[in-house]
Amino acid sequence: MRNQPVNIQYPSSPLTEESSTQNGGDTPVTGGGGGPSNIHPLPEKLNSPHHKGGWVRGHQKDGGSYDKLMPKYITAGAFARARAAEVSTMLKAVRKVTSSCQLFASLPNHMRRRAMSHNTKRYPRRLRDMANRLREKSLQACSKKKEQTKRQSRKARRRHGNLLLEFNRRQRKNVWLETHIWHAKRFHMVKKWGYCLGDRPTYKCYRPCYRAMSNHCLLQDLSYYCCIELQGEEDKLLASLSQMTSKEAGPTFAAALCISGRRQGSVVLYRAGHYPSQPLGPVTFLWRPRVHGSTHRQLWIWAHPTIKQDLLPELQSVCQCCEAVVPPVVPLVTPAEVIPTPEPERRPENTPEAMQIHRTKRKRNCKDASGPPAKKILGDGKRSPSTPVTWRSNSTGIVINDLTMEIVRYRLIGPQSHSVLAETLEAATDCDPSTLWWPEHCKDESKMNLHRQQVDIFNILKDIYSSGELPSGTVLGLTVDDPRLTLPTKRVKALPCVKQLHMSLMLMLVIQAHAMCLCCVFLSEVDEEKRRELMLRGVPELCCQSFLWERSIRDNVTDNKISEQELNRMRSEVLVPGSRLSPTPLQGRVPILLVHQPGKQVGHEMNSWGAGWDLLLPKGWGMAFWVPLVYRGVRIGGLNMSLKHSQNKASPHFPHDYPDCPAGIRFQEEQEAELLDKFKRRPPAKRTNYIKHGCLAPFRCPWQQLAEEWELITREGREERKRDSQTQTKTGADTVTEVEMTSHPDITVTKPPSRFAVLRNRKSLRLLSGWCRPTTSKGQRPCRVGEVPPLDSSAATSFLTEHGMSLVWVRLSLLSKEDLRLLSNKSDCSSPQEPPHKNHFNSRLKCRKKGSKKLATTSSSDKTEGSGSDLPSASEPNLTSVEDAKSSSETPTDLIFGLWPDPLPSITSHCSRVTLGWVTQGDFSLSAGCGEALGFISVAGLISTLLNQPMEHRGTLLLRNPTSLSYRFAKINIEV
Amino acid sequence: MTEPRNPGMSSVPQTAPVHTDSTSQAVEMDPVEYTLRKRLPRKLPKRRNDVYVNMKTDFRAQLARCQKLLEGGGHREICVHGLGLAINRAINIALQLQASSQGALQLAANTSTVELVDDLEPEDPDEAGEPMTRTRNNSAIHIKVFYPDPQ
Repeated sequence: MRNQPVNIQYPSSPLTEESSTQNGGDTPVTGGGGGPSNIHPLPEKLNSPHHKGGWVRGHQKDGGSYDKLMPKYITAGAFARARAAEVSTMLKAVRKVTSSCQLFASLPNHMRRRAMSHNTKRYPRRLRDMANRLREKSLQACSKKKEQTKRQSRKARRRHGNLLLEFNRRQRKNVWLETHIWHAKRFHMVKKWGYCLGDRPTYKCYRPCYRAMSNHCLLQDLSYYCCIELQGEEDKLLASLSQMTSKEAGPTFAAALCISGRRQGSVVLYRAGHYPSQPLGPVTFLWRPRVHGSTHRQLWIWAHPTIKQDLLPELQSVCQCCEAVVPPVVPLVTPAEVIPTPEPERRPENTPEAMQIHRTKRKRNCKDASGPPAKKILGDGKRSPSTPVTWRSNSTGIVINDLTMEIVRYRLIGPQSHSVLAETLEAATDCDPSTLWWPEHCKDESKMNLHRQQVDIFNILKDIYSSGELPSGTVLGLTVDDPRLTLPTKRVKALPCVKQLHMSLMLMLVIQAHAMCLCCVFLSEVDEEKRRELMLRGVPELCCQSFLWERSIRDNVTDNKISEQELNRMRSEVLVPGSRLSPTPLQGRVPILLVHQPGKQVGHEMNSWGAGWDLLLPKGWGMAFWVPLVYRGVRIGGLNMSLKHSQNKASPHFPHDYPDCPAGIRFQEEQEAELLDKFKRRPPAKRTNYIKHGCLAPFRCPWQQLAEEWELITREGREERKRDSQTQTKTGADTVTEVEMTSHPDITVTKPPSRFAVLRNRKSLRLLSGWCRPTTSKGQRPCRVGEVPPLDSSAATSFLTEHGMSLVWVRLSLLSKEDLRLLSNKSDCSSPQEPPHKNHFNSRLKCRKKGSKKLATTSSSDKTEGSGSDLPSASEPNLTSVEDAKSSSETPTDLIFGLWPDPLPSITSHCSRVTLGWVTQGDFSLSAGCGEALGFISVAGLISTLLNQPMEHRGTLLLRNPTSLSYRFAKINIEV
Repeated sequence: MTEPRNPGMSSVPQTAPVHTDSTSQAVEMDPVEYTLRKRLPRKLPKRRNDVYVNMKTDFRAQLARCQKLLEGGGHREICVHGLGLAINRAINIALQLQASSQGALQLAANTSTVELVDDLEPEDPDEAGEPMTRTRNNSAIHIKVFYPDPQ
């Protein structure tokens, strides 16, 4: 009804007239059998009352062509019946007014009035009745709806039990971390990977967070990382796990230091036996130290939640653990939240009924209960009780446990993170025997000995000035008191406690003459010796043991946690308000694990930037440790900051920088959909025209196509080289050398079946890194001269046969002004420009708007091929900083203004400079003080570029934003 | 082994016999099988009037910073520290400060030895190798730049 002409009249007079004209002049296309198929003939009729020739549909101008289809005769009866039916539908369509909106819309513009539906008297009188009726109807509907959704009062909603019910309902879809409510008040939350995670704080703190990372401490909740526990004989575990790793890519699970349990290791996992291809993703792992020389070992693998769905089946197949242990059968290994137990402090099932019962019960006997029952969901609330979490193998005896959300993991980043820890945590004190786990342990002298050693080491930590001084990956087990007991009244900034030795140095510098300072030096000699030992050797193996590894103790600690309310009650009973609780409550002993996180390890600048500690806690204790940590003056970061952290650390971030992993591919798709959506939300006139900028795929990186094209180029280049001698002509000015490039019209046709892979072979990476580094940086690399063979065509060929389809992860830093001056030997150096491309799709878009023809997709590729091939392409590639992804729903014919339609032409030769790869993350780096970008480059492309560059300018590339035409010089760094 | 010129002023206790054996080990090792990673030198607590000189920051900027501390910052004295390669620059900065003050500033230099730690990560394929740490010493200079007391 919307497309009705404005001059239509509703009373039935025109209809009758209409029907008469129909009967007279019209001839149906299909004789009488057509029936009342066409619902909207009326407007068209009125639009074109002079169409005598035929029954014209749509807006076609040349309606005369229907003449051929005219029937020879008409059966009067059938014809009249069909007309009658059509007339009746028309009448119905005209009379029926579905809502007031349509009533309003039926009026011509000049008769519409403001607030017509509110005051029906503003309607013309003939419509007033209908408007009144509609208004009544809508009012009724409104009141009915109101009754349905009557909410509880705010007071009732905020009541503790109801609030918990509401929270539990909201956690059903996306799991909440234990610090969720704290975060939700302060962060922009995103729903990712099945969790609700804080993305970035609502307040402005980008730079403060960076400063915290480089000077003090930044805290993150990483509890969403999944922990998978493997138990079994050491050699069997190693044998099965070694299928998923390769020693070429760095130390594996079997590395001597890691397997002793003294260090945390990290490794990239692959599908079993597929090493260079099909990676799953990076994981970190931690072995439990050996207990009395037994070969039964325990291993924790910490993985990102997006890896877990691929990793778990793979682990099961590798360990032959196909037998799922149903949770009720083995209650020991089931997480606590799935079995309702008689203990009062166990969390009951989170069904509303259970909640209700519990609430009433609590009201009745709130006096005799030891504390209010913990109803909060601890652990993975999304998992159904029947889902197996344990798999056992009969042949190998390996047991796999899924410990997702069982262990809380906090990450402290920054040089002062250990002093924050040292101030927050206090080693557990002895206590009287009782049934709880810690008093039991107090009786055992050997365990207490161990505890004392661990405490000693923990105390030495306070003497260390920066977290980066420790050996990377050090593990320290510890048992601490409840940190809520020592909560400061105000937020304070934890600073390193300057011990005598350091003071003595300072003193000596200031008061030179005083020789008495020397005695302090000798006093602290013993401490100093211990500190040296810790710095050089790390924590001894014995002290890496922690009771956190034991499930029973974990559960015991979780169940017996004193609630906040109980603690406050105890505090209020203290004689001097604000003083510490004198006998520490028995329940307040928590086993923890401290794991050192290495900082920046590669490269020569900003070494060990971003080092810190991970704090591992039993579940349920999250907030009890979180608030005390926050009170020590740390900054809190979200997902966004962890991305920046790894970017500054020059380490690949998962899943952004793993395009060959399934999780990375998924991430790219999501990102493309998101970016495309954002792009489409802009008005077309305000969108960036990526076609004109020569940016083929602004929202995704077609890595596969890139690798294939470079593979082809190198193959052709090799053949050509065989035919004639090398035709390299060096242009005089800068590093621009011309390369013989042939056009590849059949690039999309010949597809090698192999998939691209990211190069992770340490040896090859080291070789490549040596090749693309022309200037020696002050002798930083030992024995470099002997190590790296010179880059020549034979070495390149042998390298490429091995890694032809590989991409390599690189760091690019933009050159500063001085570097540029050195590069060009001129005072003023302008970076090259990309000539604007022509948008061949513009005309086609226009054509389509007219609605005339379908698009032919074939013509696009050959056009650009032609223009690309006759351009002399320089050796300097362009790297468009692309932040990528792709929507699969798009049909190839679906044109969006400013974007290339789907079958992309040749990527490498599309721009005036050859494309080597794309940047995945790029920003101004606060740590380097210049623009830095992380991205991937085709190995074949890189080597052919390096071969054509003069020695002193090797490793200089060009970089271009997708939204700009000017290139910038960048230096390539491959760091191993 | 660099002995500090003034043993009474040395800050780091000399525990040479402990780590000489580790350095001799390091000499014997096969260079191909280990990756060398240097740890940062130990940081010391820093007051407002301490200036740690490095080779990355522009010389003039570091000099200006020292001048600001002495003139605008209201400090009677500052300490300029330099380690290894930066010793030259630290001396240079101190002398420049003195020269620009027309003799009002005085210098008092101390040297010390700083122990540095290197990590050696094994690269061997059978992964039996223990990562080693070795210590080596580097010289450092601490220059006090101060206005002498009027009396």
